[in-house]
Amino acid sequence: MTATGYDIPRAARPGLHAWGQLILAEMKSVIRDTAGLIIPIGMPSLLLVTQGAAASQEILPGAGGRSVYEIYVMPLMLVMVVTLVGVVNMPSFLAAYRRQGLLKRLAATPAHPSMVLFAQVVTSFAQTFVGVGLALGISAAMFGIVGPVSAAAAVGAFLLVCAAMYAVGMVVAAVSPTPNAAVAIGLVSFFGIAAVGGMFGGAQNLPQPIAEFGRWLPYGAGVEALQHAWVGEPIPWQPIAALAAAVFIGTVCAVRLFRWSR
Amino acid sequence: MRLRSVIRMTDIAVEVSGLSRRYRQKTALDGVDLRVVSGETVGILGSNGAGKSTLVETIAGLRRPSQGSVRVLGLDPWRDSARVRGVLGVQLQEAELHSDLTVAENVRLHRSFYRDGERPEELIDRLGLRESAKVRAQHLSGGQLQRLSVAVALVGRPRVVVLDELTTGLDPEGRRDIWRLIEQLQERGVTVLLVSHSMDEVERLCGRVVMLDGGRVAIEGTPTALMTRTGSDNLDDAFLRVRKRSSERRAS
Repeated sequence: MTATGYDIPRAARPGLHAWGQLILAEMKSVIRDTAGLIIPIGMPSLLLVTQGAAASQEILPGAGGRSVYEIYVMPLMLVMVVTLVGVVNMPSFLAAYRRQGLLKRLAATPAHPSMVLFAQVVTSFAQTFVGVGLALGISAAMFGIVGPVSAAAAVGAFLLVCAAMYAVGMVVAAVSPTPNAAVAIGLVSFFGIAAVGGMFGGAQNLPQPIAEFGRWLPYGAGVEALQHAWVGEPIPWQPIAALAAAVFIGTVCAVRLFRWSR
Repeated sequence: MRLRSVIRMTDIAVEVSGLSRRYRQKTALDGVDLRVVSGETVGILGSNGAGKSTLVETIAGLRRPSQGSVRVLGLDPWRDSARVRGVLGVQLQEAELHSDLTVAENVRLHRSFYRDGERPEELIDRLGLRESAKVRAQHLSGGQLQRLSVAVALVGRPRVVVLDELTTGLDPEGRRDIWRLIEQLQERGVTVLLVSHSMDEVERLCGRVVMLDGGRVAIEGTPTALMTRTGSDNLDDAFLRVRKRSSERRAS
């Protein structure tokens, strides 16, 4: 009872059912927005197929018989899937929700709008898994690629890449005033970190200072971590530290900058 | 028991005291006082920029008062937001739903946020949305979207409802359907705050009207009292006269 005599129930955050419904809603929204699935899922597969024929035949000296495809192309493509989903797709959805007033409407219900952010991360994770599954499936079926030597290290590095890219994506969503701006900022961020991370021809072909700079950004760090895991070498501390820093800095910035309404 | 019910009827459901809200240089609300008794339906009128939506959003706990206080069922909607949102239904102007989800999916999603509430299918029927239940929100007409927006505001069976421009975009039949729904809420003793530009709607549904102008309460009272006090034949004229007087007062 309160001072006014009203019997108001204790505050109760929505339960598991609500979380499930919201995640389901986000997944349906993403699936029904078919065009949005083409780039994160279709493009890496297309690149793998077009580049795979030559790269899978070229054995890299001193890499235990592994091909250029496994050492360079695969890690690049896996990180590309995560980056496209986390840095381009997810922010565009969140910016659209803010623009439409959906986050504000949710803020007026017992469901905090942060539930939508979580549901989007889960949905993005599912998209990533589909994209990665497709990439690995194509690699195995068409080029006989068997996967990383150190699977556990590869999975751990991959999860850290996901966390880093989603954190960067949340910053993109936080600073984007409109959905179009989110796509533009997301794409510029993607091409920026991917270019210095070696997406266009390998980091070894970049000028030394740029290549070194790229190693400390999440794309280059992610590729480097996965390359080591792929050949079974211990992952150096630098890419791990760079990815962890991206998670920390991205999360702090996103929490400070994110607005629920226009 | 009788005494207790009398006390409950006189409870204040919404209390706004000296409420001001400023956005940098602009003052959207300037010392607004408003009391809404439990079970009452109060209409909030005002021209564009009068501060209606800011008032609604502050009552809903979406904006923090710059000065003054707001209480909904005795609770501060900013500080006790989680409790207030469980008993407050809000339909916001220009706030949309998941456009890729169907009508039924949107209503079910919002129902899942509340412990107790309406059965989604029943509410969809009552709002005349049965035939559109499987249509995605992005393909609905403006009127259907408005009905859906009302449905999600009511699905948690709120004790206080705030409706911002309830029947904008609705055809006459749609307006009548929504009005009937509001009358059902009134019969259940739900407190309703209704922001509207439609004078006939306010006259039909509201026991009391508050007119905002320049972020202040320009006049308040029953629709009949407002017409008498302004020497008008209808609420439209009363509204225009109040606006004119307020403008003259500000200019002098």
